[in-house]
Amino acid sequence: MKAAAAGYIRANDLPHAISLLEQSRGEARILAGGQSLIASLNLRLAGETALIDINGVAELSGIELVGEQLRIGALTRHRELASSDLVARHVPAIAQAAPLIAHAAIRNRGTIGGSLAYADPAAELPACMLALDAQIVVRGPAGERRVRAGDFFVDLFTTDLAEDEMIVAVEVPVAVAGERQATMELARRSGDYALAGIVLVDRPSGVRAAFFGVGPTPILATGAMAAIDRGASPDEAAALLEGDLQPLDDVHAPAAVRLHLARVLLRRALAATRS
Amino acid sequence: MNTQFVGQPIRRVDGRLKVTGGARYAADFNLDEHVYAVIVNATVGLGRIVSIDQAAATRLPGVIAVISHLNAPRLAYHPHKGAIDPATGERLHVLQGDQVRFYGQPVAVVVADTLDQAERAAAALSITYAAKRPAVDPSASDTTEIMAEASKGPKAYYPADTARGDADAALATAPVRIDAFYDTARENHNPMEPHATVARWDGDRVTLWSKTQFVVNEQAEIAAIFGIPTENVQVISPFVGGGFGTTLRTWSHVTIAALAARQVGRPVKLALTRKQMFFTTGHRPRSLQRVALGATPDGKLTSIVHEGRGETSRYEEFIEALTAGTGFMYSCPNVRTQYRIVPLDTGTPNHMRGPGEAQGMFALECAMDELSYELGIDPIELRRRNEPEIDESTGKPFSSRSLMPCYDRGAELFGWAQRNPAPRSMRDDREYVGMGCASATYPVLFSPTRARARLLADGTAEIEVAASDMGPGTYTSMTQVAADALGLPLDNVRFSLGRSDFPPAPPHGGSQTMASVGSAIRAACAAVLEAAARNREVRPIEAEGSAQRDPEVAARFSMHSFGAVFAEVGIDSDVGTIRVRRALGVYGAGRIVNPRLALSQCTGGMVGGIGMALMERTMLDARDGRLVNAHMADYLMPVNLDIDRLEAHFVDEEDPHVNPLGVKGLGEIALVGMAPAIANAIFHATGTRLRNLPISIENVLTA
Amino acid sequence: MSDTAQSFPTRVDISLTVNGEPVDARVDVSRHLVDFLRLDLGLTGAHAGCEHGVCGACTLQVDGEIVRGCLMLAAQLDGAEVWTVEGLTETGALADLQAAFVERNALQCGFCTPGMLFAAADILAQGGQPSRVAIREHISGNYCRCTGYEAVVDAIETVAGARARGEEVSA
Repeated sequence: MKAAAAGYIRANDLPHAISLLEQSRGEARILAGGQSLIASLNLRLAGETALIDINGVAELSGIELVGEQLRIGALTRHRELASSDLVARHVPAIAQAAPLIAHAAIRNRGTIGGSLAYADPAAELPACMLALDAQIVVRGPAGERRVRAGDFFVDLFTTDLAEDEMIVAVEVPVAVAGERQATMELARRSGDYALAGIVLVDRPSGVRAAFFGVGPTPILATGAMAAIDRGASPDEAAALLEGDLQPLDDVHAPAAVRLHLARVLLRRALAATRS
Repeated sequence: MNTQFVGQPIRRVDGRLKVTGGARYAADFNLDEHVYAVIVNATVGLGRIVSIDQAAATRLPGVIAVISHLNAPRLAYHPHKGAIDPATGERLHVLQGDQVRFYGQPVAVVVADTLDQAERAAAALSITYAAKRPAVDPSASDTTEIMAEASKGPKAYYPADTARGDADAALATAPVRIDAFYDTARENHNPMEPHATVARWDGDRVTLWSKTQFVVNEQAEIAAIFGIPTENVQVISPFVGGGFGTTLRTWSHVTIAALAARQVGRPVKLALTRKQMFFTTGHRPRSLQRVALGATPDGKLTSIVHEGRGETSRYEEFIEALTAGTGFMYSCPNVRTQYRIVPLDTGTPNHMRGPGEAQGMFALECAMDELSYELGIDPIELRRRNEPEIDESTGKPFSSRSLMPCYDRGAELFGWAQRNPAPRSMRDDREYVGMGCASATYPVLFSPTRARARLLADGTAEIEVAASDMGPGTYTSMTQVAADALGLPLDNVRFSLGRSDFPPAPPHGGSQTMASVGSAIRAACAAVLEAAARNREVRPIEAEGSAQRDPEVAARFSMHSFGAVFAEVGIDSDVGTIRVRRALGVYGAGRIVNPRLALSQCTGGMVGGIGMALMERTMLDARDGRLVNAHMADYLMPVNLDIDRLEAHFVDEEDPHVNPLGVKGLGEIALVGMAPAIANAIFHATGTRLRNLPISIENVLTA
Repeated sequence: MSDTAQSFPTRVDISLTVNGEPVDARVDVSRHLVDFLRLDLGLTGAHAGCEHGVCGACTLQVDGEIVRGCLMLAAQLDGAEVWTVEGLTETGALADLQAAFVERNALQCGFCTPGMLFAAADILAQGGQPSRVAIREHISGNYCRCTGYEAVVDAIETVAGARARGEEVSA
């Protein structure tokens, strides 16, 4: 089984990558960690595609604190997210999420930008961005723009990225005093995509709960969040998830099971952030 | 019998090669000038090929040939029935016609200079079909069960019907009754190594470097298919990266590799993708079973009814031991078994580790557990009260039977006494905890085998048999047997296998390799020692020996291995996740030739049983027969973190009757019994009886 | 396909080291790392089991980190340092693990073993004595269908202990 790659160019720097993307008029894809892209090329799920390899673009890497934001470069590997002190201190939800992604060899290559652009509805990092109300920094020929996570994930494997744009970084608000965060998931088997997962950001000003694996995109459980902010019990809030989430029946689990798991996860995450 | 090495925990002799990447599996053979073949599979589940447009594919760089039924030579396909082939029906004749019998059937092969080019061209082939809706669900109303030809009559190896007493009448009047249906999923073997064949023709002779558990059958089958003398085919298979039965048969890709190589006049390498393995390399058939038990209030069985159905293809009648264990497991005056198969529009199933016993014993052992709760009798005690003196299905004594010693030892090691018998009574933090047990059995098979032994001038010896080693340690255990038989140090014995020009061995399956090949090696060693004593000058000197079972002994005894399997599960009380907290198997399997190897062999089989119980299921789309989860991300099998504490133990068992070595085999029985032990533990944990495999979170939640 | 996409090269020159030896090659862009090693360089110790990153049989080391050989393209290897089981056998870096795997019979068919050794070496490189659960977690991306996993965990645990105590384990 061979990757269905129709061509390959190594981008020297960010402008080079963008210009290649623009020239390809949607027929080339960005190759970051490749842990989903190459797998799908191997299975010939994506058709033949040309690849723009950005792994040599140094300016896309790195984690830095910029004011009240943690800026994480698109090429930052999951392993780096898991081991970064900055991430652990300022956005613990991401630090908790990273080790849940696949297995060590995958985490060594997989990148945050790749995960967000791929937008697998069962993936951890898109839900982290949503719960944390992060901004996705996107660049194209027309320049840079910032997209709030809530607007970025459009549908199943579909984002707000135009065909000549790429993710360069994310900017995540850092945790404020008294803020607690929890990322949890339930999978059928260790290392698998989650049947359901939650990223709970519990701020003194209000709670944000993003779920993954229970709809076509990561979903903010606005009904349950409002109830929690009103002082509802975890059970009461969990009961509202039926209106918030859109789980589907699929080969991995029936919708009802996913909804049930989401309810349990909400209770457990609240117990963790409020213990 | 000299047992300096037999019985000792010798380190595996092929260990060094395997930890250094030096062991060569089929796809590791790179020949000069070889080209690559990629199979194109049908994308409909039943019907006919209407057209193949190969123009675009043929134009691509590197493409040497596109071969389909439109241009493939007619192959001889002389009659050939290997020891493992279904007795009734005829194998798939590949690329010989426009008929599509199942989804994924090979319909063309592309040969190109590089693998990448062949893949591209395969994807560029445009094929149209006239499709019909296939029948792929044995429980659906559009299927019909049949009695397999080979199961007809009382002398059949797997009889369609057996009866003693009047089981149905006894059931109707039994004071205590259990009557339930069980459904086990279709599974795929999924050894880690994908099937591969490298084929090279030299005139009218062909050499196949191929993944196989049965080299002499692959040789004979390819000879029959191509209509050439058997000796014109050489099969070489030194290492097999796991098999579990899938490479017992010679599947269509081997023929395709040989055909492609002959057509293009170059050596050809053909490796199946993981997805293609799901199409054409056999599978454990789904089973649908009913088990009814009748008993007296004090737990004496008065009736056993076991009716089982398994899948087969439209073109071959695959049968296995689905109901075979039921007649002799327990003492009971009234037993009736019935075994039918359901032809479907799929590829032919084949033997997968513990074939038939794994599914059949799941049903029987769950039913026994259900009965124990109904009676309020401890499940082990229930089995003790029904322990037979003899094999009541044949009237013969067992050559050895250690079922109750296995239970006793297992109960002690497992801490069965700490189990609160009431369901849903044990808890550990958030988990409901349950403990379950089940019996395992597998027959002691034996097939005629030949071996060659050669003594060299330097005092070393070479042993050759056309056997296989898919992992359990044939290389090592046979070296032990030969060293003992020759009185040589281990390092002075070199055992070779996996070549069809070596003396013939039976299929490396059915847990018979140790017994059959080992016995033949002893005979060959004795023969060469005798020859060497007669002629002290000539070296090297060689001799062959053979082994077969004494028919008189075989007629006198019922020969089976037995085991007792224990499992402890934890069920998350909120989310229904099922975790096997620990499992333990105790086996009475005769002489254990190498405890170090036997231990891994058994724990590996137990993990296979955990997969069967909780994860493994090949799903088909009823609309078109498409395999829904034909890759490793969606066909779940246990990973390391799914396992916790696993133990395997052996009771001392001397069986002088089974074979000269006194070994009974381990590969199959290690999987049998695990799934029912887990299902029984889940009942104990939750109070919910789940009878369909695999058992998953949603089954627990919605029960 | 547009002209632009067609202008993307379909073959790429790479210059790298494999097991310490310099290698220059022109590779098809659809060539995986694992096939590059197996088919072009004849290093067949890394095995292809599923080819979409699930089974771990192709696990090896690139620039000091374990990766899936089926989820990297050979074209990406320009300037890379690649180590396979053959190379680490020669340097002795895996010697104690290899010895422990044989000693504990942590392999049967052996197909998963080279990849498993890389995953094992990776957790051992973190130092200390990892718990059995940590070991299981770390090598859960490496499937084994034969051994029942227990022996694999035992072998890695043993080597971790020996290394922590500074003991030599010879192959």
